[in-house]
This record gives sequence, C-alpha cells and structure tokens, in this order.
Amino acid sequence: MKNLMPDQTYDVIVIGTGAGGGMAIKTLCEAGLKVCALNSGRRLDPAKDFRNHKQSYDMKYRGFGDPRKRDQYYHIENEYTAGLWEHGIAYTTAPGTEWEWPRCAAVGGKTNFWGRSAARMGDIDFKAGSRDGSDVDWPVSYEEIAPYYSRAERMIGVASTVQNRPSNPDGEYLPPMNLRCLDFILQKGCEKLGVPYLPDRLAQLTVAHEGHPPCHYCGNCTEGCDTGSFFSTPWFFLPLAEKTGNLELRTNAVVKNVLVDENGRAKGAAYIDRDRKQEMEVYAKAVVVAASCVESARILLNSKSSRFPTGLANSSGQLGHNLCDHLYGTTSYGYLPQLLGQGSFPDNVSNSQVVWMPRWQNLNNPHEEKFVRGYSIYPTGGCDEFPWYQDQIEGFGSEFKRNIKRYYPTPVSFYCQIPSLPSPTNYVDIDPEVRDIYGIPAVRVHFQWGPNELLMWEHAKEVCRDVIKASEGEVWGVGEKPNTPGYSLHETGTCRMGNDPKRFVTNRFGQAHDVPNLYVCDASVLLSCSDKTTTLSVLAFSLRTSEYLIENLRRGNPSS
Amino acid sequence: MAGQGLERREVLRVMALAAAASQFPGFSRWTFACDHIGAQSTEGAPAKPAAYLPQFFTPEEYATVERLSELIIPSEGSAGAREAGVSEFVDFMVFSDPGVQYRFRYGLTWLDAHAQQLYGETFRALTPDRQTEILQHLAYKDRYREGEDEGREFFKLVREYVVMGFYTSRVGLEELDYPGLKFYSESPGCPHGDDPEHLHLPKVVKD
Repeated sequence: MKNLMPDQTYDVIVIGTGAGGGMAIKTLCEAGLKVCALNSGRRLDPAKDFRNHKQSYDMKYRGFGDPRKRDQYYHIENEYTAGLWEHGIAYTTAPGTEWEWPRCAAVGGKTNFWGRSAARMGDIDFKAGSRDGSDVDWPVSYEEIAPYYSRAERMIGVASTVQNRPSNPDGEYLPPMNLRCLDFILQKGCEKLGVPYLPDRLAQLTVAHEGHPPCHYCGNCTEGCDTGSFFSTPWFFLPLAEKTGNLELRTNAVVKNVLVDENGRAKGAAYIDRDRKQEMEVYAKAVVVAASCVESARILLNSKSSRFPTGLANSSGQLGHNLCDHLYGTTSYGYLPQLLGQGSFPDNVSNSQVVWMPRWQNLNNPHEEKFVRGYSIYPTGGCDEFPWYQDQIEGFGSEFKRNIKRYYPTPVSFYCQIPSLPSPTNYVDIDPEVRDIYGIPAVRVHFQWGPNELLMWEHAKEVCRDVIKASEGEVWGVGEKPNTPGYSLHETGTCRMGNDPKRFVTNRFGQAHDVPNLYVCDASVLLSCSDKTTTLSVLAFSLRTSEYLIENLRRGNPSS
Repeated sequence: MAGQGLERREVLRVMALAAAASQFPGFSRWTFACDHIGAQSTEGAPAKPAAYLPQFFTPEEYATVERLSELIIPSEGSAGAREAGVSEFVDFMVFSDPGVQYRFRYGLTWLDAHAQQLYGETFRALTPDRQTEILQHLAYKDRYREGEDEGREFFKLVREYVVMGFYTSRVGLEELDYPGLKFYSESPGCPHGDDPEHLHLPKVVKD
C-alpha cells in the first residue's frame, strides 16, 4: 500500500550513507540545507555490533562461524560481523558471470569495515585513456581535484609519508605506521628488484585527530572499530551533520526509484520502509544518489517513466555500463627464515595494512609491459591471530607444536590490486524475471575479467614470487586463480562523468546530464578504478559535487 | 602388508553399527560448554565442569578423538590439546556441521579397523608407541604406505580440527604468545635497528 500522505519537502534527499553519501550529508547539512537521508539498513551500535575486541574463544564457533551457515557468508563476513551484511535483497548474475557482491546495508555502509587504504589518484589515472589509447580521459584534472583530496584527508586523517612517486601524488599526512621486522626484510628484497616498498596511505589515526582518539593497534579493524579510530561515516560525518539539526536520517529505507515531475526534474524518492513493509515517498528540491556503484545504477534504471523509458539519466544509453572492479587475489606466499624461532611481535596491528608496493609499471612509457596501466600490491604477514601456515608443516606431536611456534613470525603473502579496463561486456542491467523480496526488479550483473587484467595477474604472481626470493625467503606457493569479481568491493563506472551528454551519464560535476537536479556522489561516476582504492576519490568527488549542488540551489538555478 | 586388504565395504559395515549405537541426540538438545578450562565466569567462582558429554561422537569415538588430539598437540613442555579442551571443540564443530560428520565417522572406523588388522585391538586400546607408529605412517610423506590413503585423508582432517581448536583456545593463543587484541600506545615497530636484514638474531624458540 502506498503512503500518499503529503510529507515535508526537504532541500535534498541523499540516498546512501557510505563514503559518498556521508560526505554529501555532512557538507549539505553544514551549509544549512534540510537533508533527508535514506539508508537501506539499520543503524549500528558500535558497542554491541562491533565485536572487534572479542577473543576467538569468546565466540561460539571460535570465529569460524556456524558451519551450517558458512556457505551463506560472504568472504568478508565472519562470525564477528555476521548479521551486518545484506542477504535479504536479491541480485542476479548473467550466464557466465561470477559475481560475489557483499553489501553492507547498515548506516555507514562499507566504511564500517573498509581496508582504509586511501591513496590519491593522479593525472596518470585521469589521463590514462589518451596515454594508452584504451579509453577516454576523465573530465577533471588532478590540479582541479587536488584541493578536495587535501580537504578530505584533513577530515578523515590519513597516515603516510611523502613518497615523490609519479603514480601516486602525495597528500597531507599524519605520521606513518612504523615498519615491522618483516617490512625491513621485504624492503631489502624489493630494493634489489627496483620495486617500491613504502608505507601505505592509511586512513587510520596514528595520532588523535579532529576529536577522534588514536588507534590502539588491536588489529581487528575489519570487524568494525568501537573507538572510531579510523574513518567511517557513522563515527566521523553523521554526528557533525546531526549537530546542525538539519538531518533527518530514515533507516531501513530501501529506495525503489527516484520520482520525477512533469517537467522531467527529480522531485523525490520512493522507498520501502522495511519495518512497516510499506511503500513511502519523500520529496525534495534535489536528489543525490549515493547508494554505491551498482545500487545507484539499479535505482536509476528502475526509475522509468514515459519521459525516461530506459531509466532516469540514461539518454546516453550508458547508465549501468563501464562497470570496473579490482581483481584481487593472493599472488604468492611463503616465509622468511630470518625470523624463524623469534618471539611473537604485534605485526597484525592494523589487519596488517601497513605497507604497499605502489604501481611501478608503465610509468615512463604506457606500453613498457604487455599490459596497459598498472597495479599495486599489499604485502602482509607476521604473527597473525591464527597459524594459517599449519598446512605447510608436516607431522604431529611435540615437534609439530614447536614448529608452529618457530614459524609464527615468518609467513608473508602478497595481495594484488589490479584494475579492470572498461569493457562493453561488463555492465549491469535490470533482470526482467527476478524481483527482490519487496517486489523491486533485481539488478543483474554481467562481468568477466578481461585479458589486460589477467596479464597483470600473471605479472604480479611472478614479481611477488621474486620478491620473496630476493628477500632470502622461501616460496610456499603462488596464487592459482584470482578472487571472484565483486570481491574487492571497489566497483566503479555505471554513471561515468564526462562532458558529452551522448556518451556520459553525469557531467564533470557529477550532475546528471538529463536531469539537472539529480546528482551522483559515489564510485559510479569514476571512469575506472585505477591501482588505488576508491574511497578517498569518492570522498573528494562527493565533496566537490556537494558544493556545486549547494551553489546551484543558492542561485536558484540548478541547471547552471 | 599393513593397511592392504582393508576393504571399504568392511569399514562401512562397522561404521553403520557404530552409528546405530551412537548417542547422537539430534539437533535440539545440544549445549556447548563455552566455559571450558580457563574461561572466566562472570558470577563468582565457576562451578566445577561436569564430565563432557559428547554431542555427536559415541563415547568410544570420543575417547579416540581425545587420544588423537593429545597425540597431535601433546602437553609436553607447555599446555596442549588436553588443557585446551580440544576434543570438546571437535565434537561440537562436527556436531554443528552435517557436511563433515560422515568423513569423521568413516575415518574413525577406518582407524579402528586398521589397528585391529595390525595389532588385533582398537586404536584407543593400543600402547602410545603403537598409536604413534600408526600415525607416523599417515602424517609423514617419507613414511607413507600403500593402501592407507583413506587413513591419511582422515588424519589430515582430524589434525585440521585439532589445530583449529587448540590455537583458538586461550591456552593455544598463550602458547603462541598472540600479540593482537591488545592496547598499544604507538604502532609497534621493528626493534632491530642495528640488524635491519635480521641475519643475526638470537633464537628465542629453539630449532
């Protein structure tokens, strides 16, 4: 049943409360605009929902989870975070597509559990299209976006060092994490091969920042932080927005579609109230879609009308297209004999996210390698919560037990972050057959790794194996196959920005070409995912779009 | 020769008898003693834990699992599987996982049939030396014997569960001196500034 009671009209509706939505909500509220934020899940209570300080033996299944439910868990989900990821709302995959797509519907979305790597993209990424001829350039230069990166970094706090590298511009940083024993050893090995090994750009507070306490290095970051010592919107942005008195946050509100008036302008959003199982509508002068890359496409594709028969803001036909993702996987793993028999050391202080090997390929010449563009690597290792290397050690008894202890500080492994290239066969549309539990037509994913990213995967496996050897380590194995697409949670595309309305969904400010009071503030506007993570770029672009929106509303001329 | 002639058919027949004799209570009655050794009770002194009643295994099977866990992680030198209550964990996890129950039941039956064939007694009735001897042929590549594939597979499985149970217990994490889930005032860095390549470190754990 539809609730057609007239509701208060807001200045802006923001759909989604993750990095992009959270930044929009904060920026708009602080500018004095009345904001209604819609979030598809509930609000979490960090003290109750984040079990990051629970020991394995405090958990019923020791952290391994209920075996009967294990098949239902996403890779990122475990006994600590069970119940925090979305399982109720369906998505489908086209034949031939494997897509594992964990969605955190809770307020704050993926920022609750993100990996915290927060590097800037640069012109090497924005101009990659013309540089290697494989795509178009971004409509924004690094010079133009750099001030927004600086402001985003100041808001969230990023620990790193100035590195003067061509592939990853430096920003404004808190003191870096200290390097561990294994880092010094691997760094030496990398040096021999000419591969960089540096502190990551890590959004984790090494000192108190903007009223947030510094990290205490317990190591269970991806279970959610109950002290708020790394950036997430519920800890950092939403309290600031709420302080203004301008925010109304509606939780358990699954947006179905954007509503349009007779002039083709956005006038609100229709959503399902999950608690009341009722369809509701809310109205505003402008709408910001920030539901995450694929969800935003789903909402706009489902916003069909006689005026917009193929979905809202889709006159280019590009809505849902150019879906990119990071190819993730363990490239190689082994151990460092130098550390055999050493005592334990707190290596796992940040889920091991201390260092990275930032892109070093195709820097001088875009065609140096067999592939175009480049990738980055995250090394990890040392004393972990569980001795996963146990299957490398033979036998049983006292000798086995002693060996487990001897090897405890020694394991290392490498994780790749490889960008896919935009491809006409990688996109999302609406499944004509399937509706979710609320009757909303489900989104359908079409995606496969392309040859360029698979060449990088082979390259990365070889390099990482060589790094272990050059570090005087022993190789246990190399990755057999990359993780399933969707795994990285770094989808980009679907609403790409560009100057030509015939080829792009949004303009250079993230404003829909077809609908002047509709804006997109998430990774769907990014042209590709590059070798960096997406969150910092989502924050910077969302900040810029939000300020552009404010300016338009002030001028009373949203189409300027 | 050892292990040869142990027919799968025979193992299955014995296993069916064991399953019939099992006290398996069904999925509604289980309670797992989370307050195993070392865990703290919030209300005063913890009651002395009663003898553990296996949820999945028969008493005989459970005795074998207990013995296996002690052989895999012994209490020599420091606390082992016994102190960590590992066999309880194994029983609980197997109880909770219908997908693995058959493999455990089959493997335990194989092990007894194998012991019977070699020494005329069940595995748990053998001397520790003979038990160790049997496991060595399943655990070490250079001592593998023909016809024992199923035993090796079972040993791998049971070792995995014992390792899981031990190193997620309080005593197991103490054994490793697990350094996580603590509070540090600054990010802990390498203390070996004078030896960045770590080539001359004195060993803490002997080879």
